[in-house]
Amino acid sequence: MTGAIFPSTAWFRALARRMKQDEPAYRALGPVDCTMVVRIDTPAGPDLYEVVFERYAVRSIRRLARLEDAAPGHFVLEAPLETWREMIENIRDNAGPDLRHTLNYLTFPDVPMRVTGPDQLEVDAFYRYNESLQRFFNGAADVPTAYAAPAARATEDVCRPS
Amino acid sequence: MSRYTPVVDTALDRMREMVRGNFDLRWMDANPAGWGHAATPGPAGLRLRDVETGYYGRVPEDGSAHGSMAPRGCAVPPGTRSLGMYTLNEKSEVWAENAGLLYDEAVVRQWNSVTDVPWDRLEKLPDDLEKAVCQLCTNLAEVEFVAGDMPAKWLCRINHDFHEVKLFLASQIMDEARHLDVFRKRALANGGGLMMASPGQEELLAAILEAPDYTTASALMHIFGEGFVLTLFRQGEFLAPTEVEKTIFRLCMQDEARHVAYGVKHLQYFLERHPDRAEQVHEILDVGEQAIFALTLEPQTSEPRAILAGGGLENIQLGMARLAFIYAKQVREYLRRLQIAGLDREPRLTIPKEISIDDLAA
Repeated sequence: MTGAIFPSTAWFRALARRMKQDEPAYRALGPVDCTMVVRIDTPAGPDLYEVVFERYAVRSIRRLARLEDAAPGHFVLEAPLETWREMIENIRDNAGPDLRHTLNYLTFPDVPMRVTGPDQLEVDAFYRYNESLQRFFNGAADVPTAYAAPAARATEDVCRPS
Repeated sequence: MSRYTPVVDTALDRMREMVRGNFDLRWMDANPAGWGHAATPGPAGLRLRDVETGYYGRVPEDGSAHGSMAPRGCAVPPGTRSLGMYTLNEKSEVWAENAGLLYDEAVVRQWNSVTDVPWDRLEKLPDDLEKAVCQLCTNLAEVEFVAGDMPAKWLCRINHDFHEVKLFLASQIMDEARHLDVFRKRALANGGGLMMASPGQEELLAAILEAPDYTTASALMHIFGEGFVLTLFRQGEFLAPTEVEKTIFRLCMQDEARHVAYGVKHLQYFLERHPDRAEQVHEILDVGEQAIFALTLEPQTSEPRAILAGGGLENIQLGMARLAFIYAKQVREYLRRLQIAGLDREPRLTIPKEISIDDLAA
């Protein structure tokens, strides 16, 4: 498995490839139709990635310049880079999260990770598809991950409003 | 004289005609408007919304008057008897735009408590934690199936033309059966057992089951009750001592969020057409809020959650403080969902938006 830098579109594409390879397991969980924005807070400012899920696969991934550029129906999963890093490393160390590193565990108290959104029903989609979203991030177990300095990420293409 | 009844004699006469080659075959051309329909399965399979298009996708504002179970879109022969059961004949009384979608999602996202929970990973817990888990499971086994009984009460009253709603509610009954089943199993599986029932919960259950009409019952159960329980399930996953409870709560959480989504969209659809009925919805929510707040008086409801939130009996006070945070989250999400449905509840809220443990301790 090729490694990737977190956060980057390449890293999320690697998870999307894992999802495609693992399609029978996702089919067992049921389809997932939602838009997730992952926000990584870094010293250089927030870094935003939009991941659109459709049925048993990822339909699109793009880096966003601003949250306002996200598709209207979305929820946001936001945390500092250190939290994301700890979660990913925990998933890699244990081939899945331990009891204290599931998405729900991290988001429920609103610290260290938060799920927000412009519309409560979109936030509810995070609860509705939770098993599938957890499995998506569990794919990180098979993606060797490096963590770039904020300046390095700034060179990546960013989707800006046309 | 025939040894059979007139009905049997008539049927035998008809069979004789068929044996002679005299067939009716009028049914073959009975529904020309509905003939020639096709649907293409997509990558997710053939969903309800893939076939409910064109002629078959037209959902009438008023359900058909024939009162039978004839499926929407078929030809109904004159003289077909009415079952005389349907009292919910207006679309707005039950409809939600996402009902078909949620049904498709529900049937594909089914799970089972027999093999989908890693029961072999149950661990022996300290007595205080096991008792708290068992009491929480007793509470949930008591309260969960109201979300099966309530739809069951109304299902046979819903006009058959609104089958998307009926199918979704049927899937919800199955979801709730699974919830009752899985919480009972957890209580009985790890050396503990069922604990104490909750008279306070029965007040809320009665309010749901005795609601004067379907929409108020739905607002109270789908949005208020299941919204609060959804947060409770998230809390259960957060506090779960083993992978077993974690899996149970995560799976239940997904089901509950579907039910909430239906409730919000139904209330929205209803209030857009009947804004004058908002007061009735407010009134039932008044009752629900009082009933759920009264639950905090019940030790068997609040204390086990505080023990789990604190990590043990010795930290029960810390756990109480953490529950205050959860309560605020429940109320916040409840108000936001009602806002989407078109009901500004905040000025009418009859319970505190948040509880300050510091203020209570002062």
